[in-house]
Amino acid sequence: MAPTDQPANLTEAAVIRSDHKMSDFWRRLALAGLAILLSLLFGAVAIFVSGKNPVLAYWSLLKGAFGSVDSIAFALNKSTPYILTGVGVALCFRARVINIGGEGQIAVGGIAASWVALNASDLPGFCLIPLAILAGSVAGAAWAAIPAAMRLTRGVHEVLGTLLLNFVGLLMVSEVLHGPMGEVGAGFPQSPLFPEQAWLPALVPGTDLHIGIILAVLAVFACHFAFWRTPFGFRLRLVGSSEAAAAYAGVTFARTVAGVMLLAGALAGVAGAIEVLGVHYRLIQGFSVGFGFNAVAIALLASLNPIAVLPAGLFFGFLEAGALAMQREIGVPSSLVYVIQGLTMVFVLCAIGISWRQQRI
Amino acid sequence: MDYAVLTELLSASIRIATPLLLVALGGVISESGGTFAVGVEGMMLAGAFGGAVTTLVMKNIAFGLAASCASGALVAAVVALATVKFRADHMVTGLAANILALGLTSFLLRGLFGGKAPVIVLPTLGNISIPWLSKLPLAGPVLFDEPLMTYVAFLLVIPVHLFLRRTQAGLTLRAVGENPAAAFSVGADPDRIRMVAVIVCGAFAGLGGAVLSLQELGTFTDGMTNGRGFLALAAIIVGRWMPIRVMGGCLLIGAASALALNIQGWGLPLSSYVIQMTPYLIALAVLCGIGRKARMPAAIGRPFIRS
Repeated sequence: MAPTDQPANLTEAAVIRSDHKMSDFWRRLALAGLAILLSLLFGAVAIFVSGKNPVLAYWSLLKGAFGSVDSIAFALNKSTPYILTGVGVALCFRARVINIGGEGQIAVGGIAASWVALNASDLPGFCLIPLAILAGSVAGAAWAAIPAAMRLTRGVHEVLGTLLLNFVGLLMVSEVLHGPMGEVGAGFPQSPLFPEQAWLPALVPGTDLHIGIILAVLAVFACHFAFWRTPFGFRLRLVGSSEAAAAYAGVTFARTVAGVMLLAGALAGVAGAIEVLGVHYRLIQGFSVGFGFNAVAIALLASLNPIAVLPAGLFFGFLEAGALAMQREIGVPSSLVYVIQGLTMVFVLCAIGISWRQQRI
Repeated sequence: MDYAVLTELLSASIRIATPLLLVALGGVISESGGTFAVGVEGMMLAGAFGGAVTTLVMKNIAFGLAASCASGALVAAVVALATVKFRADHMVTGLAANILALGLTSFLLRGLFGGKAPVIVLPTLGNISIPWLSKLPLAGPVLFDEPLMTYVAFLLVIPVHLFLRRTQAGLTLRAVGENPAAAFSVGADPDRIRMVAVIVCGAFAGLGGAVLSLQELGTFTDGMTNGRGFLALAAIIVGRWMPIRVMGGCLLIGAASALALNIQGWGLPLSSYVIQMTPYLIALAVLCGIGRKARMPAAIGRPFIRS
């Protein structure tokens, strides 16, 4: 068997199967549930090893996530950037473009939005906020364009391109905060507070919940529609399932890859903008750390289905919110979230690998 | 440039290249067998953690080094199992291993010590002067007055090179990376070979992590590898999967970083953050420069399926 006959298993497996069959839907749901369950089980072992009671820990996590209106608002705010970035990653993976540069794209999106919020502060809010978000999306897309161009013109694999640029993006945040955008005399690297009209309005008055989650939900539905019902989405699916078939059908590989990278970058940039405008009200150092990898875990848990990114993103948002409460309450380190994330990814990847094998035989 | 500056630059290049080189050698072994080594960042971090914690508890750096190998290999075992037995996607599995290692090390650093991260201060491996040779001008202080793991890393290049080019096992490994079906038809077991290669890669990467925690910094902090594993991956591509050239790639990244650090002292209007970006930017620039000339093992990233 020639090596080219073998598919690069991740996306091919996802693309070959039709996503509209009902039985398939339940199978995927069961798969995601099983992956989560196994990860939580391993997490319980880790909690036990660290000398704490896993049942108490998970109970405190659950309370921390759903215990009050405030905690739910906090968790929804947490989920917002994950969902936005995750849906972009899911589309990229569908076209077999392994974009893992969410973290850097969020970082530069945050920088651009912050710059607008600080420098166009005489605009009224209904102009300023959209402008800042737009700036974030343009910056995110531009950042994603770099690895896309490297891949298409110089053959540099996008995994390395996006990963290395993540570090550069994070350092750029530090750079602007210690230079032009930093608050003088603050103990922590941060920008001055944005003017109040640049703050994202609250969705539910009296809580911290901002309108970002609405944008995230809209983005998910738009991507779902674009993926299944537009020529662009069809090209993505075609490139993902077979480059040769795509070329035969007249689909330009380069244009599709560039398109999906820019789209994912723009979505991540919006996530960065929302994070600074809606949560911190300023640019702070390291605000995007971990978000990009989170997005990959979410996209996988959603089996690369745009619409399923919504529940998957909510799951990780609530998990993280709950874990922070668990750390405060009973001292179980919140880095447990990363353990659970990593394990979930491994289990989902294994399951995708197996199901592809079964199909083939 | 005067003599003292040159000596300092060259030793800094070697110091920075050492952990990269160990990780990159492991990566070459894994990728020669056809498994992408994106997980080396996590294996390296696990190694740094295992080494630091074991040395802290056992008060013995030799146990620490052994533990770093074992920790790296443990993370690698997860990757090996997922990619070989379950045919999971190599790139994303590697990424998952990185997240898992980041989470586990950070969790255990607190969990094992009663909820709060301990302050770890370890004695670091000191320089070993080679008698006579270390007195040579320039080469002496740069090449023959280095800590233990630096000698180990650079001396390992030769056996790894010979293993891949001159031994039966090494040739079989490369055959599995190029065409597993052909290797299978002459009696090799591609799955087993790949799993062993990935786990050996983990041990190397773990040792690379130990260089950071036990030789350079004498401590462990969350996420301390900070992308060094990815830089090592870039060095592998620069070196086109050949150990001696890969060493050149590591030294190139090391030299660029050393130069950037040195420039900081010149009083140029560059902030320390821009300077910290240089290793990543240099790696990207070099990758772009190489372009499509790099030819990776033909069957890399593809599972072997008996037909």
